[in-house]
Amino acid sequence: MLRLRYFKVMVGGIILAALVVCGLAAPLLAPFDPQEQRLESRLEAPAWLGGRAQANLLGTDNLGRDILSRIVYGSRISLLVGATTVVLAGLVGCFLGAVAGYFGRRVDEVVGKITEIFLAFPFLLLAIALMAFLGQGVINIIIALMVSRWVQYCRVVRGEVLSLKERDFVTAAKALGARDYYVLLRHVMPNTLASVTVVATFGMAIVIISEASLSFLGLGVPAHIPTWGSMLSEGRSYMNRAPWLTIFPGIAIFVTVFGINLLGDGLRDVLDPKLRRQI
Amino acid sequence: MAKQDTGISRRDFLKRGAALGVGAIVGHYVAEDGFAASRDRITIYHSSVADSINPYNHSSSPIYGQWQHIMEPLVEMNNDKLEYEGILAESWEFKEKKWVFHLRKGIRFHNGAPFTAKDVIFSIHRIKTDKNSLQRPNFKDVVEMEAPDDHTLLITLDQVHATFLDLVQNRFVLSKAHYDKFGDQMDQQAIGTGPYKFVSYQLGGNFVMTRNDDYWGPKPQIKEVVFRKVTEDAARVAALEAGQADLVNNVPIHEVARLQRHPRVRVETVEGLRMFFLALNPAHKPFDNKLVRRAANHSVDAPGIVKNIFDGNGFVCDGPVGRKVFGADPNLKRYPYDPKKSRELLAQAGYPTGIDVKFYYSAGRYPQDREVCQAIAAQMVKGGFRVELISQEWASFWGNSGVNGGKLPFYYIGRGSLIDADTLYDQYFRTGTSKRLGYSNPEFDKLIDEEQKTYDRKKRAAILRQAGKILMEDAPFVPLFNLADLYGVARNVIWKPPPDEKVLVADMKIR
Repeated sequence: MLRLRYFKVMVGGIILAALVVCGLAAPLLAPFDPQEQRLESRLEAPAWLGGRAQANLLGTDNLGRDILSRIVYGSRISLLVGATTVVLAGLVGCFLGAVAGYFGRRVDEVVGKITEIFLAFPFLLLAIALMAFLGQGVINIIIALMVSRWVQYCRVVRGEVLSLKERDFVTAAKALGARDYYVLLRHVMPNTLASVTVVATFGMAIVIISEASLSFLGLGVPAHIPTWGSMLSEGRSYMNRAPWLTIFPGIAIFVTVFGINLLGDGLRDVLDPKLRRQI
Repeated sequence: MAKQDTGISRRDFLKRGAALGVGAIVGHYVAEDGFAASRDRITIYHSSVADSINPYNHSSSPIYGQWQHIMEPLVEMNNDKLEYEGILAESWEFKEKKWVFHLRKGIRFHNGAPFTAKDVIFSIHRIKTDKNSLQRPNFKDVVEMEAPDDHTLLITLDQVHATFLDLVQNRFVLSKAHYDKFGDQMDQQAIGTGPYKFVSYQLGGNFVMTRNDDYWGPKPQIKEVVFRKVTEDAARVAALEAGQADLVNNVPIHEVARLQRHPRVRVETVEGLRMFFLALNPAHKPFDNKLVRRAANHSVDAPGIVKNIFDGNGFVCDGPVGRKVFGADPNLKRYPYDPKKSRELLAQAGYPTGIDVKFYYSAGRYPQDREVCQAIAAQMVKGGFRVELISQEWASFWGNSGVNGGKLPFYYIGRGSLIDADTLYDQYFRTGTSKRLGYSNPEFDKLIDEEQKTYDRKKRAAILRQAGKILMEDAPFVPLFNLADLYGVARNVIWKPPPDEKVLVADMKIR
């Protein structure tokens, strides 16, 4: 039981760490400039499948760009968008959730209505609508995804705070004369951290997939920045002649999302106080 | 007691299951005629279909082809003989500035009204005055129209115009009686004299027409026609393979070999008349500087694009127009691809560190345009241009907020049905004809004026060559190439594609 849990966290963590290294050290890891086009060697098969250009390990795309280099650089966008969105959405969601849960009544009602409004929209549809309105760009995609994602944190934190604020240690702190914000920050919020971490990890996986979806639809970052989603999109009309255009970015998305989900799953088990007590 | 049979045995179940599975997979290959085109209906998925119900709110060859099912022009180019043939006009003659068209008799519109010279006058008037008309420039020289009788039309131009028929083709005639009855609402039910009648139009949906059984000419074989705009290459090809579409245009070159092996589909090829080029609008910075425009010419490797992106299925322009176009000059050479020279020219123009430009196109309109434009952008980076590539919806790209309003500094475009250099020169480069390019050169304008007044074809070609030379000098554009037009067609449709991109169902037969 225990081993499996830590095993998940470890594998997930390794994958995420590899991704971070990949993103940070992209210029060192990528064998070519991801933008450099060599039209004369377009649609080269991967080197180990007998492609002529031995240098292109994963082959070249429809404009002769090296696919491996584009995947390596593409990880930057996935990471950047994933991490930033999760942090920003987390801050907004946690704040509103904590306030709503702790103060209850009117505040809770207002925040509750707002979250319901946001929940009423299908998540990706809301993001698409926002992107259509804001236009392409990394910052815009972060805004669009953040606006669509904060609700999850808000709901979880509110629920946790509702039960935490009735606990004895909170009553004790209040009895000692602690002010609301102090109680909230010092005694209540730290206890929600476990749940928030789990929501954030799963959220990151969803955000990475969403960024890929938006880029696939042409609503993501500008065309010249390599992203996994836009690689899939550009390669799809070559599925028959050159499947490596879509297979490798697809694998990259799959492995990343799988790793992060594994991490989230493991963290949930490890951090679950009830499970912890049983050990 | 014998054991009672309570149902199918396990083995039987597996057998049946396997048969069903195989059937499901193989079925659609076997049932070849199951969903191919029929005499009842043909479905065409095209990358450009009318974006408006106003038949004059465009100026694009494939869309002329769609409206031509419903409404007809006075004359039409015969692409084999390269001369004009009468459609609604039986014959015509001209003297100096006066043109006389003798109209065909006994033709009726779909609403039953007889076709007369008054309808032509009404239509030309609407093309000239409708604020949404994108065909206005064609009749800018028309000063007077008269109808001495129902079947004679007199048009007076403000100057002698040798290429007037180029402007009269593709101008479709609407029913005046229909306008008198419905006014501004007339476009809700398009009425013409064509072989097909309007059924319905949905923006982004189907454009449907049905056979006109009272048509004055030879009656088409296929009863119903559905056009649908699909700008995604892969989606058109997939629809063709699945039998949803019977005919698609712009088959990507890398799909040709595979489609040729398909049991229900074939690929038809024709050397297209559309000439692709990059417009460099001198009305916008930095393209007001001739050196910058020349640098752009040096920075684009058109032969490389044709060779690699189109696998050689294209024809690079050596001069301002393709070799086969009337008025082409075999002595002209394109600016050689030379990024170093481009950077030098930019430095001379005062941009030693390169320059930022925005490059516009409408993705999905033309064959593999995303790749072409990305390749051009990357090539130009080497020549010192930091290119930002921007794709717009066709309607906003082409309309008054874009190309036709003179708002775009630099864009990728193709001029269709280009047979005579005059068409391109007049439309894009002569001062005041359209706003597509803010280029203006009095010397060039004078040559075009002169050429348009010259009936002698040899002399006219010589003047066009002179004009072409000026264009190469001033470089308000980067001439690129003509492409092979590739159509995917269901095998049971008998049809030879024309070079002018008009898909006319009246010319098709079903096997």
